[in-house]
Amino acid sequence: MSAITPTETITGQVAGVSPGLRRRRAQSPRVAKHLRSNRTAYLMIAPMVILLSIFVIWPLIYAVYLSFFKISFYKGSEFVGLQYYMFVLQDPKFWNSLVVGIEFAAMVVPAGMVISLLLASFIKVLSKRMASFMKVTVYVPAVISTVVASVLFLFMYQDQGVINWFLSLLNAGPVAWLNNPGTALPAIAVPAIWLGLGITTLIMLAGLLDIPDSYYESAELDGAGFFKRTFYITIPLLKNILLYLFVTGFTAAIQMLDLPLVMTNGGPVNATTTPNLFIFNNFRGATPYATSFSLTTALLLFVVLGLISVLVFRLINSDKAVDG
Amino acid sequence: MSTATTPVSGSKGTLRRGDRNRLIKIIGVVLITLSLMFPLAWMVIAGFKGKTEVLRSPFQFFPDMWDPKNYIAIIQDPQFSRAMIITFLGAVIFTVLSIAINSMAAYALARLDFALKRFWWVFCIMPMFIPGMAILLTSFMVVSQLGMLDTLAVLIIPGVASAVQMFFLRQFYLNMPVAVEEAALIDGASRWQIFTKIFVPQSAAVFVVVGIGSYMAYWNAYVWPILTITNPDLTQIMQFLGNFRSDRGNEWGLLMAGSTLAALPTIILVLFFQRYIVNGVRISGIK
Repeated sequence: MSAITPTETITGQVAGVSPGLRRRRAQSPRVAKHLRSNRTAYLMIAPMVILLSIFVIWPLIYAVYLSFFKISFYKGSEFVGLQYYMFVLQDPKFWNSLVVGIEFAAMVVPAGMVISLLLASFIKVLSKRMASFMKVTVYVPAVISTVVASVLFLFMYQDQGVINWFLSLLNAGPVAWLNNPGTALPAIAVPAIWLGLGITTLIMLAGLLDIPDSYYESAELDGAGFFKRTFYITIPLLKNILLYLFVTGFTAAIQMLDLPLVMTNGGPVNATTTPNLFIFNNFRGATPYATSFSLTTALLLFVVLGLISVLVFRLINSDKAVDG
Repeated sequence: MSTATTPVSGSKGTLRRGDRNRLIKIIGVVLITLSLMFPLAWMVIAGFKGKTEVLRSPFQFFPDMWDPKNYIAIIQDPQFSRAMIITFLGAVIFTVLSIAINSMAAYALARLDFALKRFWWVFCIMPMFIPGMAILLTSFMVVSQLGMLDTLAVLIIPGVASAVQMFFLRQFYLNMPVAVEEAALIDGASRWQIFTKIFVPQSAAVFVVVGIGSYMAYWNAYVWPILTITNPDLTQIMQFLGNFRSDRGNEWGLLMAGSTLAALPTIILVLFFQRYIVNGVRISGIK
């Protein structure tokens, strides 16, 4: 019945990863304990550790260090302590970008999740052949690059573009979607939702298929319609997955950079300046201390988002993440 | 057949009801497919339109004639085809390196016991929680100090080690049965041999999933290339499209043809490996 039935032996073994994941602490380490293999192990993790040290860990330490200094290309750096953090926190543009980011996430994430849940529920009841067709259909937009999506939607939002044509059929418009502060952000949210649907839907579908059919059957015998079944069975049983998708979706959406960068470059009047675009534009900014400033902004954002991600990671990786 | 299509409803209804359900589902599938695919279809169609008809008013849905001249013109643009080739080349090297490095670390962290293992595990997984923007500027400073700007290496090396991919692979290796490994150890195989002779051959499916992830990450990258690459010979494909949009933004037909061709490799990859991707969600252990 379930359309995702791993038929291969390899994938078959991992079909039930979730319970395995939960059991891992009890069983671990699943290695032959009497044999420590320091040399092999260190050689095997060495490339990863070295690369991460150079290109991730060191840049992070360096960024924290620099945020305490006034960097100048003409004279030596000067220690300024937390001064830049104060500057950032006092800058209305920073708060504006944060508001834009939250608004953007508030448009993208709930809408995307509702559509994905509907799609996943629909795919679940399809025959195997139709279901595998739909899964591909849903997934294809997910592999489109944000740049291609940006130019494509930019094209569709043109005054004589296809979206205004649809509006004209309804005797409305044309709307200058991207030049109007009120519509620019929603106009950018649409491609973001479109790009994100695929993965969210597939993850939800995998969760849905784990819910025993008997739950739905007895609910149906009791006369529960689709919405009742969704609210009383699907959503409570999927709550860990939904929470995971919500938080990861939120942190991803608030960090959106490419779409506003290509489509509007933050305009009109900063209506689409997401936090990352704010930081990115400051990197290239003309003011003398723009670099330190944007670095500090990035770090502030990092602390908040990083903490959220760690919490979510601990949640899905912990024993508390029990379904139902 | 008709009952097979209504697995959940459990209806013991007549054939007629089954047929109606089936019809509704087919209509649903068609409508959803049309709306999800519409932007892509529109991009392909616009690629066939001439310079004046692409945004003509009154609006015209299909081109006057299906002339692939935009597609031919963009392929013949040496910058475009070079960007496609160089990006593809980079993406292949990136994917291979990334699978090699991440799977080795994943194997060690999943199946070996060694000193300070917990520390190195946290060390390797930590980058998952560091937003790219927080280290973008200092990473740029690092690569410029290393003299890597404007080389293929700057596009490939910094992103090759990936905590997410390593985590994904480790998840897979944790669930491989321990018996095989023990038998091989008794036979005198070294850990390295066990990895290359037993684990790697069994990893085909999971390598496809992480490989597609790496490939897409490289192919679709935009911000890092525009920061680090100024040499036109190394221009990446998304960078090309971004530049094209700002320099020749009114030539929508060409731009749409170029975007279509730029999106094609990943779409083909996904269609080819669709089964693996759908299973990949399960391997990830999210659900």
